[in-house]
Amino acid sequence: MNLRANRDLQERLAAEYALGTLRGRARARFRAWLREDAALARAVAEWESRLAPMLAAVAPVQPPARVWRAIEERLGAYGAAPRGLWESLGFWRNLGLFASGSAAALLVALGFVAPQPPQPAPAPVVVSVQSDKIPPVYLAVLSEAKTQRPMLIVHAGRRSDQLWVKTLDPAIHVEDRSLELWAVPKSGAPRSLGVISADEKRMIGLGAVADQSLAEIPTLAVSLEPRGGSPTGAPTGPVLYSGPCVKYW
Amino acid sequence: MAADPLVELLAATARHDRAAFARLYQLSAAKLFGVALRIVKREDWAEDLLQECYVRIWSHAQDYRAGLSAPMTWMASIVRNRCLDWLRRPNPEVADPDGNLIEAAESGNPGPLEELERATDAAALARCLEGLEAKQRQAIALAFFDGLSHSELARHMREPLGTVKTWVRRGLARLKACLESTGAVRT
Repeated sequence: MNLRANRDLQERLAAEYALGTLRGRARARFRAWLREDAALARAVAEWESRLAPMLAAVAPVQPPARVWRAIEERLGAYGAAPRGLWESLGFWRNLGLFASGSAAALLVALGFVAPQPPQPAPAPVVVSVQSDKIPPVYLAVLSEAKTQRPMLIVHAGRRSDQLWVKTLDPAIHVEDRSLELWAVPKSGAPRSLGVISADEKRMIGLGAVADQSLAEIPTLAVSLEPRGGSPTGAPTGPVLYSGPCVKYW
Repeated sequence: MAADPLVELLAATARHDRAAFARLYQLSAAKLFGVALRIVKREDWAEDLLQECYVRIWSHAQDYRAGLSAPMTWMASIVRNRCLDWLRRPNPEVADPDGNLIEAAESGNPGPLEELERATDAAALARCLEGLEAKQRQAIALAFFDGLSHSELARHMREPLGTVKTWVRRGLARLKACLESTGAVRT
């Protein structure tokens, strides 16, 4: 059923989501839609507001003082801009800046240019097209921060809504956990692009052509998540790989 | 109605004003802890979840839109959603093994809905809930307060799943129609 075309169904799902009876995969799917659909998000907010007076009936319970102490500790751990690592846009932007300084590094990683011999030497990635024949694509090479070793290549044609993910090292997959790919905008929260399956090469639907969905995305990143992906819609695990997302044309 | 002080506190929190955030916590934590406790039924879990949610409120305060919902509504949604996600994680331990909390909620004595009638800002909703069939009302209350899923509702109300789903769906639709007809102001 096409959710976007069915306003009644949208309204019903928004109500059940706000009430809490939408569960399991339906809940996760609905949340993904929510992030892309402002009208749907508004419908949920309206339902949350309709039901909110019921909160008056919940007896307040003073939490122990250790809860506030723990919150302060967590905020304090990040110094002047006290936010969680994943929450910190500064952290994300730095990733982007650090990496995007060089579309050159990207070309190195792709094998267009001979890499400087680093230590340990990253396996050069050979792409079997000539550089002047590459169609207009959004391109990202995600590497491990510490070793700078490229681990994934991600690309999508400018006018395509299909994102291709190639895993350079099958050993990156962890049993019972999922790797989730995130689009990290200049401002605002990272947006999930999907979970990376164990296939060497796979396609992820973008929901909109790359020129819309990736144009304002300077950085892509991969986090380690519970099986099936983040339960919250925001990254919950450590950032394993990241890299600049650049326009190549 | 006087301006909600939480709006300004949330705006200041978005600017990383620690004092405002502390005040926001003082004013809202007891209610939100109550919300979390009702859903997860265990204090240690509720404490951890509350802590997580306030860190999230701190880091996402700039996403709050005053025109869309009241601050308490926005924060409570973060807490309720996090608690529901927590309940559906793999291998959840059995919460409320003796069913005491569920029983209390079911008996409605002293029921949350009776409490609701006393809250003036909730008068319209209370009236509309009153207008629902008893089973519809009970299903919606159990889902909202205790975070029960459709299948949990079916088990606790000893009714077929399909019947319970219909109660929830029709109950919500009637609730909306009633609130719109009474011209209730949304917070």
